[in-house]
Amino acid sequence: MTIGTDHAPLFADVLFWMLAVGSVLAGWRVFRADSMVRAAYWLLASFAGTAGILLLLHARFLGLILLLMMAGEMTIMAAFMVMFMMNPAGLNPMNMVHQHRTAIIAGVGAFLGLAAVGVFGEFPARPLLDASQVTADLGVELLGDSMMVFETAGVALLATMIGSIALAAHRGRFGPADEGSEPPALVPEAETVRPGDSRDEEQS
Amino acid sequence: MTDVAAGVLALGVALFLGVYLVSVLDRFVSDLVAGHGLTANVFWAGPRRAVLLLLQQPSRTERPDAEAWAFAPALLGALGALGLATIPLAPELPLADNADGIVLFGAAMALVMVAVFLHGWSANSVFPLIGAYRFVALALSYEMPLALVLISAALPAESLSVGEIIRSQTDVWNVIRQPLGLPIYMVTVAGLAFWGPLRLPDAADLSGGTRAEVSGPALAAWEVGRSMVLVAAAAMGAAAFLGGWLGPWLPGVVWMGLKTLVLLVLIVWSGHHLARVRTERFVVVAWVVLIPLALIDVFLSGWLALAAR
Repeated sequence: MTIGTDHAPLFADVLFWMLAVGSVLAGWRVFRADSMVRAAYWLLASFAGTAGILLLLHARFLGLILLLMMAGEMTIMAAFMVMFMMNPAGLNPMNMVHQHRTAIIAGVGAFLGLAAVGVFGEFPARPLLDASQVTADLGVELLGDSMMVFETAGVALLATMIGSIALAAHRGRFGPADEGSEPPALVPEAETVRPGDSRDEEQS
Repeated sequence: MTDVAAGVLALGVALFLGVYLVSVLDRFVSDLVAGHGLTANVFWAGPRRAVLLLLQQPSRTERPDAEAWAFAPALLGALGALGLATIPLAPELPLADNADGIVLFGAAMALVMVAVFLHGWSANSVFPLIGAYRFVALALSYEMPLALVLISAALPAESLSVGEIIRSQTDVWNVIRQPLGLPIYMVTVAGLAFWGPLRLPDAADLSGGTRAEVSGPALAAWEVGRSMVLVAAAAMGAAAFLGGWLGPWLPGVVWMGLKTLVLLVLIVWSGHHLARVRTERFVVVAWVVLIPLALIDVFLSGWLALAAR
Protein backbone atom coordinates (compact mmCIF):
# COMPACT_ATOMS: atom_id res chain seq x y z
CA MET A 1 0.00 0.00 0.00
CA THR A 2 1.37 3.38 -0.99
CA ILE A 3 0.87 5.70 1.89
CA GLY A 4 1.91 9.30 2.07
CA THR A 5 5.21 10.09 3.68
CA ASP A 6 3.78 12.94 5.74
CA HIS A 7 1.27 10.71 7.59
CA ALA A 8 2.25 8.48 10.43
CA PRO A 9 1.83 4.92 9.01
CA LEU A 10 -0.42 3.74 11.86
CA PHE A 11 -2.68 6.78 11.53
CA ALA A 12 -2.93 6.26 7.78
CA ASP A 13 -3.71 2.55 8.25
CA VAL A 14 -6.47 3.26 10.77
CA LEU A 15 -7.92 5.93 8.47
CA PHE A 16 -7.74 3.61 5.47
CA TRP A 17 -9.63 0.81 7.23
CA MET A 18 -12.26 3.20 8.56
CA LEU A 19 -12.84 4.63 5.10
CA ALA A 20 -12.80 1.22 3.42
CA VAL A 21 -15.23 -0.40 5.87
CA GLY A 22 -17.39 2.75 5.83
CA SER A 23 -17.55 2.67 2.03
CA VAL A 24 -18.62 -0.97 1.94
CA LEU A 25 -21.21 -0.42 4.70
CA ALA A 26 -22.64 2.61 2.88
CA GLY A 27 -22.70 0.58 -0.34
CA TRP A 28 -24.64 -2.14 1.49
CA ARG A 29 -27.12 0.49 2.78
CA VAL A 30 -27.81 1.54 -0.84
CA PHE A 31 -29.59 -1.78 -1.34
CA ARG A 32 -31.35 -1.72 2.04
CA ALA A 33 -32.75 1.82 1.63
CA ASP A 34 -36.43 2.08 0.79
CA SER A 35 -36.32 5.41 -1.01
CA MET A 36 -34.54 6.62 -4.10
CA VAL A 37 -33.14 9.73 -2.42
CA ARG A 38 -31.77 7.72 0.50
CA ALA A 39 -30.25 5.16 -1.87
CA ALA A 40 -28.60 7.91 -3.93
CA TYR A 41 -27.08 9.60 -0.89
CA TRP A 42 -25.86 6.32 0.63
CA LEU A 43 -24.09 5.79 -2.67
CA LEU A 44 -22.65 9.30 -2.32
CA ALA A 45 -21.41 8.37 1.17
CA SER A 46 -19.77 5.28 -0.30
CA PHE A 47 -18.06 7.42 -2.96
CA ALA A 48 -16.96 9.88 -0.27
CA GLY A 49 -15.13 7.02 1.48
CA THR A 50 -13.46 6.10 -1.81
CA ALA A 51 -12.49 9.75 -2.30
CA GLY A 52 -10.93 9.71 1.16
CA ILE A 53 -8.83 6.66 0.20
CA LEU A 54 -7.70 8.48 -2.97
CA LEU A 55 -6.65 11.43 -0.80
CA LEU A 56 -4.65 9.03 1.40
CA LEU A 57 -2.92 7.78 -1.77
CA HIS A 58 -1.96 11.40 -2.57
CA ALA A 59 -4.23 11.39 -5.62
CA ARG A 60 -5.65 14.62 -4.20
CA PHE A 61 -7.08 16.02 -7.41
CA LEU A 62 -8.81 12.74 -8.31
CA GLY A 63 -10.25 12.35 -4.81
CA LEU A 64 -11.60 15.90 -4.65
CA ILE A 65 -12.96 15.81 -8.20
CA LEU A 66 -14.71 12.52 -7.36
CA LEU A 67 -16.39 14.24 -4.40
CA LEU A 68 -17.23 17.36 -6.45
CA MET A 69 -18.75 15.39 -9.32
CA MET A 70 -20.65 12.87 -7.21
CA ALA A 71 -22.36 15.58 -5.11
CA GLY A 72 -24.14 16.87 -8.20
CA GLU A 73 -24.49 13.54 -9.92
CA MET A 74 -26.18 11.72 -7.05
CA THR A 75 -28.69 14.55 -6.62
CA ILE A 76 -29.45 14.54 -10.36
CA MET A 77 -29.75 10.76 -10.29
CA ALA A 78 -32.19 10.95 -7.38
CA ALA A 79 -34.24 13.62 -9.17
CA PHE A 80 -34.36 11.57 -12.40
CA MET A 81 -35.33 8.39 -10.55
CA VAL A 82 -38.09 10.25 -8.74
CA MET A 83 -39.32 11.68 -12.06
CA PHE A 84 -39.30 8.35 -13.91
CA MET A 85 -40.75 6.38 -11.00
CA MET A 86 -43.67 8.77 -10.44
CA ASN A 87 -42.97 8.79 -6.73
CA PRO A 88 -43.27 12.53 -6.28
CA ALA A 89 -41.26 12.99 -3.13
CA GLY A 90 -39.10 9.95 -2.99
CA LEU A 91 -40.05 9.76 0.68
CA ASN A 92 -42.68 7.06 0.17
CA PRO A 93 -41.18 3.71 1.13
CA MET A 94 -40.80 1.49 -1.91
CA ASN A 95 -39.00 -1.69 -2.87
CA MET A 96 -35.75 -0.63 -4.48
CA VAL A 97 -34.37 -4.02 -5.60
CA HIS A 98 -35.33 -6.42 -8.33
CA GLN A 99 -33.79 -9.35 -10.29
CA HIS A 100 -32.29 -10.63 -7.04
CA ARG A 101 -30.37 -13.63 -8.34
CA THR A 102 -28.75 -11.80 -11.29
CA ALA A 103 -27.91 -8.82 -9.11
CA ILE A 104 -26.37 -10.95 -6.35
CA ILE A 105 -24.29 -13.02 -8.81
CA ALA A 106 -23.10 -9.90 -10.66
CA GLY A 107 -22.31 -8.03 -7.44
CA VAL A 108 -20.45 -10.86 -5.71
CA GLY A 109 -18.63 -11.71 -8.96
CA ALA A 110 -17.49 -8.13 -9.51
CA PHE A 111 -16.39 -7.78 -5.87
CA LEU A 112 -14.39 -11.02 -5.94
CA GLY A 113 -12.84 -10.16 -9.31
CA LEU A 114 -11.71 -6.70 -8.18
CA ALA A 115 -10.58 -8.06 -4.81
CA ALA A 116 -8.53 -10.76 -6.60
CA VAL A 117 -6.84 -8.06 -8.70
CA GLY A 118 -6.13 -6.07 -5.54
CA VAL A 119 -4.77 -9.01 -3.53
CA PHE A 120 -2.91 -11.03 -6.19
CA GLY A 121 -1.96 -8.26 -8.61
CA GLU A 122 1.61 -6.99 -8.79
CA PHE A 123 1.77 -3.28 -8.13
CA PRO A 124 4.90 -1.23 -8.77
CA ALA A 125 6.38 0.07 -5.51
CA ARG A 126 7.45 3.56 -6.54
CA PRO A 127 7.57 6.02 -3.66
CA LEU A 128 6.06 9.38 -4.49
CA LEU A 129 8.84 11.96 -4.46
CA ASP A 130 6.87 15.11 -5.24
CA ALA A 131 3.17 14.99 -4.37
CA SER A 132 2.42 18.26 -6.16
CA GLN A 133 3.55 16.69 -9.45
CA VAL A 134 0.65 14.20 -9.44
CA THR A 135 -1.94 16.70 -10.69
CA ALA A 136 0.37 17.98 -13.44
CA ASP A 137 1.09 14.39 -14.58
CA LEU A 138 -2.63 13.71 -14.67
CA GLY A 139 -3.24 16.80 -16.83
CA VAL A 140 -0.50 15.82 -19.27
CA GLU A 141 -1.95 12.32 -19.50
CA LEU A 142 -5.53 13.56 -20.05
CA LEU A 143 -4.53 15.95 -22.84
CA GLY A 144 -1.65 13.82 -24.17
CA ASP A 145 -1.60 10.11 -24.95
CA SER A 146 -5.06 9.39 -23.55
CA MET A 147 -6.79 12.43 -25.06
CA MET A 148 -8.69 10.40 -27.68
CA VAL A 149 -10.13 8.01 -25.07
CA PHE A 150 -11.25 10.73 -22.68
CA GLU A 151 -12.61 13.05 -25.38
CA THR A 152 -14.62 10.17 -26.91
CA ALA A 153 -16.06 9.31 -23.50
CA GLY A 154 -16.72 13.00 -22.80
CA VAL A 155 -18.59 13.59 -26.07
CA ALA A 156 -20.59 10.38 -25.57
CA LEU A 157 -21.59 11.54 -22.07
CA LEU A 158 -22.52 14.99 -23.39
CA ALA A 159 -24.71 13.41 -26.07
CA THR A 160 -26.40 11.30 -23.38
CA MET A 161 -27.03 14.38 -21.27
CA ILE A 162 -28.54 16.33 -24.17
CA GLY A 163 -30.66 13.31 -25.06
CA SER A 164 -32.02 12.90 -21.52
CA ILE A 165 -32.77 16.64 -21.32
CA ALA A 166 -34.61 16.46 -24.66
CA LEU A 167 -36.66 13.55 -23.30
CA ALA A 168 -37.37 15.16 -19.93
CA ALA A 169 -37.90 18.75 -21.05
CA HIS A 170 -41.30 20.33 -21.14
CA ARG A 171 -40.58 21.54 -24.69
CA GLY A 172 -39.53 18.18 -26.09
CA ARG A 173 -38.93 17.10 -29.67
CA PHE A 174 -42.65 16.46 -30.15
CA GLY A 175 -43.87 19.80 -28.86
CA PRO A 176 -45.03 20.86 -25.40
CA ALA A 177 -45.37 17.91 -23.05
CA ASP A 178 -48.84 18.85 -21.79
CA GLU A 179 -50.49 19.28 -25.21
CA GLY A 180 -51.83 16.73 -27.63
CA SER A 181 -52.11 13.85 -25.19
CA GLU A 182 -55.36 11.94 -25.26
CA PRO A 183 -57.14 11.46 -21.94
CA PRO A 184 -58.88 8.09 -21.67
CA ALA A 185 -62.57 7.91 -22.61
CA LEU A 186 -65.17 7.72 -19.85
CA VAL A 187 -66.97 4.81 -21.53
CA PRO A 188 -65.09 1.94 -23.23
CA GLU A 189 -64.78 2.35 -27.00
CA ALA A 190 -66.17 5.90 -26.86
CA GLU A 191 -64.46 9.01 -28.26
CA THR A 192 -62.07 10.88 -25.99
CA VAL A 193 -63.51 13.95 -24.33
CA ARG A 194 -61.07 16.72 -23.54
CA PRO A 195 -61.89 19.20 -20.78
CA GLY A 196 -62.17 22.07 -23.31
CA ASP A 197 -64.49 20.16 -25.66
CA SER A 198 -67.66 20.27 -23.58
CA ARG A 199 -69.54 22.56 -25.99
CA ASP A 200 -69.06 20.16 -28.93
CA GLU A 201 -70.35 17.39 -26.72
CA GLU A 202 -73.62 19.25 -26.01
CA GLN A 203 -74.22 19.96 -29.72
CA SER A 204 -73.78 16.33 -30.76
CA MET B 1 1.02 19.78 16.02
CA THR B 2 0.93 23.31 17.45
CA ASP B 3 0.62 24.65 13.87
CA VAL B 4 -2.50 22.57 13.38
CA ALA B 5 -3.98 23.78 16.67
CA ALA B 6 -3.20 27.42 15.82
CA GLY B 7 -4.75 26.98 12.38
CA VAL B 8 -7.93 25.44 13.75
CA LEU B 9 -8.16 28.20 16.36
CA ALA B 10 -7.71 30.88 13.67
CA LEU B 11 -10.37 29.20 11.55
CA GLY B 12 -12.78 29.11 14.48
CA VAL B 13 -12.20 32.78 15.29
CA ALA B 14 -12.60 33.76 11.61
CA LEU B 15 -15.85 31.80 11.31
CA PHE B 16 -17.26 33.20 14.55
CA LEU B 17 -16.39 36.79 13.60
CA GLY B 18 -17.65 36.28 10.07
CA VAL B 19 -21.03 34.90 11.11
CA TYR B 20 -21.49 37.65 13.70
CA LEU B 21 -20.50 40.26 11.13
CA VAL B 22 -23.08 38.92 8.67
CA SER B 23 -25.80 39.23 11.32
CA VAL B 24 -24.72 42.81 12.13
CA LEU B 25 -24.55 43.78 8.45
CA ASP B 26 -27.92 42.25 7.71
CA ARG B 27 -29.57 44.15 10.55
CA PHE B 28 -27.70 47.35 9.66
CA VAL B 29 -28.80 47.34 6.00
CA SER B 30 -32.34 46.37 7.00
CA ASP B 31 -32.54 49.30 9.48
CA LEU B 32 -31.09 51.63 6.87
CA VAL B 33 -33.68 50.57 4.29
CA ALA B 34 -36.53 50.85 6.80
CA GLY B 35 -35.40 54.37 7.78
CA HIS B 36 -34.90 53.49 11.45
CA GLY B 37 -32.24 55.38 13.26
CA LEU B 38 -29.09 53.38 13.78
CA THR B 39 -29.07 51.99 17.31
CA ALA B 40 -26.95 49.58 19.30
CA ASN B 41 -29.65 47.05 18.44
CA VAL B 42 -27.66 46.33 15.29
CA PHE B 43 -25.06 44.56 17.43
CA TRP B 44 -27.49 42.59 19.58
CA ALA B 45 -30.18 41.51 17.13
CA GLY B 46 -28.23 38.48 15.88
CA PRO B 47 -27.15 37.04 19.24
CA ARG B 48 -30.63 37.74 20.68
CA ARG B 49 -32.25 35.80 17.86
CA ALA B 50 -29.77 32.96 18.35
CA VAL B 51 -30.63 32.70 22.06
CA LEU B 52 -34.35 32.85 21.26
CA LEU B 53 -34.03 30.04 18.74
CA LEU B 54 -31.98 27.92 21.14
CA LEU B 55 -34.77 28.21 23.75
CA GLN B 56 -37.53 27.49 21.24
CA GLN B 57 -39.27 24.15 21.04
CA PRO B 58 -38.17 22.06 18.05
CA SER B 59 -41.13 21.29 15.81
CA ARG B 60 -41.81 17.91 14.25
CA THR B 61 -43.57 16.73 11.13
CA GLU B 62 -45.30 13.46 10.35
CA ARG B 63 -42.72 10.74 9.62
CA PRO B 64 -39.72 12.85 8.63
CA ASP B 65 -36.37 11.33 7.77
CA ALA B 66 -35.11 12.38 11.20
CA GLU B 67 -31.45 11.44 10.67
CA ALA B 68 -31.11 13.31 7.38
CA TRP B 69 -33.02 16.27 8.81
CA ALA B 70 -30.62 16.56 11.73
CA PHE B 71 -27.60 15.89 9.50
CA ALA B 72 -28.34 18.65 6.95
CA PRO B 73 -27.53 21.74 9.12
CA ALA B 74 -24.40 20.05 10.48
CA LEU B 75 -23.28 19.27 6.93
CA LEU B 76 -23.94 22.84 5.75
CA GLY B 77 -21.89 24.32 8.60
CA ALA B 78 -19.09 21.78 8.10
CA LEU B 79 -18.93 22.64 4.39
CA GLY B 80 -18.74 26.35 5.19
CA ALA B 81 -15.87 25.68 7.60
CA LEU B 82 -14.14 23.38 5.09
CA GLY B 83 -14.48 26.03 2.38
CA LEU B 84 -12.95 28.71 4.61
CA ALA B 85 -10.17 26.32 5.67
CA THR B 86 -8.88 26.18 2.08
CA ILE B 87 -8.19 29.93 2.11
CA PRO B 88 -4.94 31.19 3.64
CA LEU B 89 -6.12 34.29 5.51
CA ALA B 90 -2.58 35.65 5.77
CA PRO B 91 0.84 34.48 4.52
CA GLU B 92 1.81 33.53 8.07
CA LEU B 93 -1.39 31.53 8.61
CA PRO B 94 -1.38 28.94 5.82
CA LEU B 95 -4.03 26.64 7.21
CA ALA B 96 -4.40 23.67 4.84
CA ASP B 97 -2.94 25.63 1.93
CA ASN B 98 -2.67 22.42 -0.02
CA ALA B 99 -1.72 22.11 -3.66
CA ASP B 100 -5.34 21.59 -4.72
CA GLY B 101 -7.06 24.06 -2.40
CA ILE B 102 -9.37 25.53 -5.00
CA VAL B 103 -10.60 22.04 -6.00
CA LEU B 104 -11.30 21.29 -2.32
CA PHE B 105 -13.26 24.55 -2.12
CA GLY B 106 -15.20 23.55 -5.25
CA ALA B 107 -15.96 20.11 -3.81
CA ALA B 108 -17.18 21.61 -0.51
CA MET B 109 -19.41 24.09 -2.34
CA ALA B 110 -20.79 21.35 -4.62
CA LEU B 111 -21.85 19.40 -1.53
CA VAL B 112 -23.90 22.41 -0.36
CA MET B 113 -26.49 21.17 -2.83
CA VAL B 114 -26.70 17.87 -0.93
CA ALA B 115 -27.15 19.67 2.41
CA VAL B 116 -29.93 21.96 1.16
CA PHE B 117 -31.70 19.22 -0.76
CA LEU B 118 -31.65 16.87 2.25
CA HIS B 119 -32.82 19.69 4.52
CA GLY B 120 -35.90 20.30 2.38
CA TRP B 121 -36.56 16.72 1.40
CA SER B 122 -36.36 15.02 4.77
CA ALA B 123 -39.05 17.13 6.46
CA ASN B 124 -41.72 15.15 4.54
CA SER B 125 -43.67 18.31 3.91
CA VAL B 126 -44.78 20.13 0.75
CA PHE B 127 -43.17 23.57 0.91
CA PRO B 128 -39.74 22.34 2.07
CA LEU B 129 -39.80 19.75 -0.73
CA ILE B 130 -40.53 22.40 -3.38
CA GLY B 131 -37.72 24.50 -1.90
CA ALA B 132 -35.37 21.50 -2.13
CA TYR B 133 -36.10 20.94 -5.83
CA ARG B 134 -35.78 24.66 -6.46
CA PHE B 135 -32.30 24.61 -4.99
CA VAL B 136 -31.27 21.70 -7.21
CA ALA B 137 -32.30 23.75 -10.28
CA LEU B 138 -30.50 26.79 -8.86
CA ALA B 139 -27.35 24.87 -7.93
CA LEU B 140 -27.06 23.07 -11.26
CA SER B 141 -27.21 26.50 -12.91
CA TYR B 142 -24.67 28.39 -10.79
CA GLU B 143 -22.21 25.53 -10.37
CA MET B 144 -20.78 25.67 -13.92
CA PRO B 145 -20.06 29.44 -13.98
CA LEU B 146 -18.67 29.18 -10.43
CA ALA B 147 -16.23 26.42 -11.39
CA LEU B 148 -15.24 28.18 -14.63
CA VAL B 149 -14.41 31.56 -13.06
CA LEU B 150 -12.41 29.87 -10.29
CA ILE B 151 -10.47 27.90 -12.93
CA SER B 152 -9.81 31.21 -14.72
CA ALA B 153 -8.42 32.67 -11.49
CA ALA B 154 -6.11 29.66 -11.16
CA LEU B 155 -4.76 29.96 -14.74
CA PRO B 156 -2.31 32.90 -14.26
CA ALA B 157 -1.02 31.26 -11.06
CA GLU B 158 -0.46 27.94 -12.90
CA SER B 159 -1.46 26.34 -9.62
CA LEU B 160 -4.58 25.10 -7.86
CA SER B 161 -3.31 26.31 -4.50
CA VAL B 162 -5.16 29.35 -3.19
CA GLY B 163 -1.95 30.77 -1.72
CA GLU B 164 -0.29 30.63 -5.15
CA ILE B 165 -3.35 32.27 -6.73
CA ILE B 166 -3.02 35.16 -4.28
CA ARG B 167 0.75 35.45 -4.89
CA SER B 168 0.16 35.55 -8.66
CA GLN B 169 -1.79 38.79 -8.16
CA THR B 170 1.17 40.74 -6.75
CA ASP B 171 1.39 42.99 -9.82
CA VAL B 172 -2.24 43.21 -10.85
CA TRP B 173 -5.35 41.79 -9.19
CA ASN B 174 -7.52 39.29 -11.02
CA VAL B 175 -10.47 41.65 -10.78
CA ILE B 176 -8.65 43.91 -13.28
CA ARG B 177 -7.02 41.36 -15.57
CA GLN B 178 -10.15 39.16 -15.62
CA PRO B 179 -12.99 41.71 -15.54
CA LEU B 180 -15.65 39.05 -16.12
CA GLY B 181 -14.57 36.95 -13.13
CA LEU B 182 -15.72 38.79 -10.03
CA PRO B 183 -19.20 39.84 -11.30
CA ILE B 184 -20.02 36.27 -12.37
CA TYR B 185 -18.56 34.94 -9.13
CA MET B 186 -20.72 37.27 -7.02
CA VAL B 187 -23.89 36.08 -8.79
CA THR B 188 -22.93 32.48 -8.08
CA VAL B 189 -22.17 33.33 -4.43
CA ALA B 190 -25.71 34.69 -4.04
CA GLY B 191 -26.93 31.33 -5.33
CA LEU B 192 -24.47 29.29 -3.27
CA ALA B 193 -25.50 30.87 0.04
CA PHE B 194 -29.08 31.36 -1.29
CA TRP B 195 -28.86 34.97 -0.28
CA GLY B 196 -30.42 38.13 -1.70
CA PRO B 197 -32.16 37.90 -5.08
CA LEU B 198 -31.34 34.18 -5.26
CA ARG B 199 -32.88 33.29 -1.90
CA LEU B 200 -35.07 30.74 -3.65
CA PRO B 201 -35.10 27.49 -1.61
CA ASP B 202 -36.31 29.16 1.58
CA ALA B 203 -38.07 32.15 0.08
CA ALA B 204 -41.08 33.89 1.59
CA ASP B 205 -43.24 32.90 -1.39
CA LEU B 206 -42.85 29.27 -0.24
CA SER B 207 -43.72 30.14 3.38
CA GLY B 208 -40.06 29.63 4.25
CA GLY B 209 -39.38 26.75 1.86
CA THR B 210 -36.80 24.30 3.16
CA ARG B 211 -36.95 25.82 6.65
CA ALA B 212 -40.75 26.08 6.79
CA GLU B 213 -41.01 23.16 9.24
CA VAL B 214 -37.83 23.83 11.20
CA SER B 215 -37.69 25.70 14.49
CA GLY B 216 -35.52 25.96 17.57
CA PRO B 217 -31.85 24.93 17.68
CA ALA B 218 -32.03 23.21 14.28
CA LEU B 219 -33.09 26.49 12.66
CA ALA B 220 -30.34 28.37 14.50
CA ALA B 221 -27.80 25.81 13.24
CA TRP B 222 -29.17 26.12 9.72
CA GLU B 223 -28.91 29.91 9.65
CA VAL B 224 -25.41 29.86 11.15
CA GLY B 225 -24.38 27.25 8.56
CA ARG B 226 -25.77 29.38 5.75
CA SER B 227 -23.83 32.42 7.03
CA MET B 228 -20.70 30.27 7.24
CA VAL B 229 -21.05 29.29 3.59
CA LEU B 230 -21.51 32.98 2.71
CA VAL B 231 -18.41 33.98 4.68
CA ALA B 232 -16.33 31.21 3.04
CA ALA B 233 -17.53 32.21 -0.43
CA ALA B 234 -16.84 35.91 0.19
CA ALA B 235 -13.35 35.12 1.53
CA MET B 236 -12.66 33.02 -1.56
CA GLY B 237 -13.82 35.94 -3.73
CA ALA B 238 -11.37 38.21 -1.89
CA ALA B 239 -8.57 35.67 -2.34
CA ALA B 240 -9.21 34.73 -5.96
CA PHE B 241 -10.07 38.15 -7.40
CA LEU B 242 -9.06 40.91 -4.97
CA GLY B 243 -5.55 39.80 -4.14
CA GLY B 244 -6.29 38.30 -0.71
CA TRP B 245 -3.80 39.54 1.87
CA LEU B 246 -1.91 41.76 -0.62
CA GLY B 247 -1.93 45.45 0.22
CA PRO B 248 0.29 48.20 1.59
CA TRP B 249 0.82 49.37 5.22
CA LEU B 250 -1.70 47.16 7.02
CA PRO B 251 -1.00 43.54 8.03
CA GLY B 252 -2.14 40.92 5.51
CA VAL B 253 -4.94 39.49 7.63
CA VAL B 254 -6.51 42.96 7.95
CA TRP B 255 -6.52 43.40 4.16
CA MET B 256 -8.07 39.97 3.79
CA GLY B 257 -10.76 40.90 6.32
CA LEU B 258 -11.50 44.24 4.66
CA LYS B 259 -11.82 42.74 1.18
CA THR B 260 -14.06 39.98 2.49
CA LEU B 261 -16.14 42.63 4.25
CA VAL B 262 -16.67 44.57 1.01
CA LEU B 263 -17.98 41.45 -0.76
CA LEU B 264 -20.18 40.56 2.24
CA VAL B 265 -21.68 44.07 2.22
CA LEU B 266 -22.46 43.69 -1.50
CA ILE B 267 -24.32 40.41 -1.01
CA VAL B 268 -26.16 41.48 2.16
CA TRP B 269 -27.07 44.81 0.51
CA SER B 270 -28.55 42.94 -2.46
CA GLY B 271 -30.75 41.01 -0.04
CA HIS B 272 -32.56 44.17 1.00
CA HIS B 273 -32.57 46.04 -2.32
CA LEU B 274 -33.06 43.58 -5.18
CA ALA B 275 -36.21 41.61 -5.92
CA ARG B 276 -36.17 37.84 -5.82
CA VAL B 277 -35.47 36.30 -9.23
CA ARG B 278 -37.76 33.53 -10.43
CA THR B 279 -36.07 30.11 -10.56
CA GLU B 280 -36.88 29.53 -14.25
CA ARG B 281 -35.53 32.93 -15.18
CA PHE B 282 -32.28 32.40 -13.32
CA VAL B 283 -31.81 28.97 -14.90
CA VAL B 284 -32.18 30.50 -18.37
CA VAL B 285 -29.87 33.43 -17.55
CA ALA B 286 -27.25 31.08 -16.07
CA TRP B 287 -27.15 28.65 -18.98
CA VAL B 288 -27.60 31.15 -21.81
CA VAL B 289 -25.61 34.14 -20.50
CA LEU B 290 -23.39 33.26 -17.52
CA ILE B 291 -21.86 30.00 -18.80
CA PRO B 292 -20.85 31.43 -22.21
CA LEU B 293 -19.44 34.53 -20.47
CA ALA B 294 -17.55 32.31 -18.03
CA LEU B 295 -16.16 30.28 -20.96
CA ILE B 296 -14.99 33.52 -22.62
CA ASP B 297 -13.36 34.37 -19.27
CA VAL B 298 -11.52 31.02 -19.28
CA PHE B 299 -10.28 31.48 -22.86
CA LEU B 300 -9.17 35.09 -22.33
CA SER B 301 -7.47 34.30 -19.01
CA GLY B 302 -5.71 31.29 -20.50
CA TRP B 303 -4.57 33.32 -23.49
CA LEU B 304 -3.28 36.12 -21.25
CA ALA B 305 -1.53 33.64 -18.98
CA LEU B 306 0.18 32.00 -21.96
CA ALA B 307 1.12 35.37 -23.43
CA ALA B 308 2.65 36.45 -20.10
CA ARG B 309 4.96 33.41 -19.90
